[in-house]
Amino acid sequence: MILPAKNSPKERDSALLAAIAAGDRRALEELYLGYHRRLARFLSRFTPRYENIEEIINDTFMVVWQNAKEFRNASQVSTWIIGIAYRTALKSFRRQKNHAVASLEDYPEQTVDPTFDAEVTDWLKHGLSRLPIEQRLTLELAYHMGHSLEEIAAITECPVGTVKARMFHAREKLRQYLPTLGGGSSDMPARLG
Amino acid sequence: MTSNRRTEDSVEHHEISALIPWYVNETIGERDRQRVDAHVDTCVPCRDDLAVQRRLCEAIEAQPAVDYMPSASLKRLHARIDAMQADAASSLPPAGQPMNSPTPWRGWMAASIAAMAVAVALLAADRWVQFESRRAQPDYTTVTNSVPRPPGEAIRAVFSPTITLVELQTILDEAQLRIVSGPTEAGVYSLASNAALPVSESLALLRRHSTVRFAEGTLPERVSGNSR
Repeated sequence: MILPAKNSPKERDSALLAAIAAGDRRALEELYLGYHRRLARFLSRFTPRYENIEEIINDTFMVVWQNAKEFRNASQVSTWIIGIAYRTALKSFRRQKNHAVASLEDYPEQTVDPTFDAEVTDWLKHGLSRLPIEQRLTLELAYHMGHSLEEIAAITECPVGTVKARMFHAREKLRQYLPTLGGGSSDMPARLG
Repeated sequence: MTSNRRTEDSVEHHEISALIPWYVNETIGERDRQRVDAHVDTCVPCRDDLAVQRRLCEAIEAQPAVDYMPSASLKRLHARIDAMQADAASSLPPAGQPMNSPTPWRGWMAASIAAMAVAVALLAADRWVQFESRRAQPDYTTVTNSVPRPPGEAIRAVFSPTITLVELQTILDEAQLRIVSGPTEAGVYSLASNAALPVSESLALLRRHSTVRFAEGTLPERVSGNSR
């Protein structure tokens, strides 16, 4: 299925999903290629093993293939797909706890942004690896993927209040783990009510 | 300050504090953005937290990520769907056979055994194919190896992993080429010429695009030039 290039990403995704619902494999391929990089980059932050990443992505698109007919436009296609990937990843990480909270030794040496403080990068890796998986996923969905509060609530199928609470606890813990982020300040952020 | 006023301030403070991450990633609505702006002007803890969250967001964004080629993974997805569809087709009763058997448990048992047999066969076949492919393939791959050429193949090309099908189709249309095979595990497409356009001109058109990582003719007597 080849769509005109002028379509917006949302329109393209919707058209592709409609074609997938009709059994169009090429549409599935196009949608897969459109999301693979984004999902792989996101998942690579939780597990260094590509076989795990591929398994999650392919499980996600098996669900997309089988359930495209059920999509009712209650959310954006991207939110729906990332929501499936979120739940698939969560199951996978819980099943393989060692991979979910990958130790730093699992990651190959990677170059870092030379303009960014290496100490912060190291502390960040340690701090993130100590967060419960739901809190870390929420933080990464906001700060790495750039999703809004409402989108994260839709992706995680949680009330907005739960998303705020997860984010609050993640911020609190990172403040403890990452003193350099606060310039060494011991001030703690205000607690949520 | 009255007790009511303090309570209102506290509620506002908690609400604003919870919104700070989405203020930082710029997905917050305009009204809430203005509320945060007004609050952090007067609330030192929230102003400090805003600075911390900005630094955290920058740190997370600055962390390196790894990119992977999707073509091999996509092939495995297609194989899974093929297997699932074959499994579904094999579990249907043959045409003409009544759905209600006089001894239903026999039908269920036979179906279960058949489904298990198909699953075991598929699993075994999958393992065998994986084993064979691992055994047969060297640790390295080339794009100009001695694999038999598909009929009509004139060019082998590798495209950027981020290329969309629309972009790919546009490039192929321009170069008057069509895909006859691929992508391989290494992401190599075999292309055939659609028209009388010389292959060398199609190659030149391909190589103009930054999304074409490699393009090489496979008919040496007619084509010359360097790979991209």
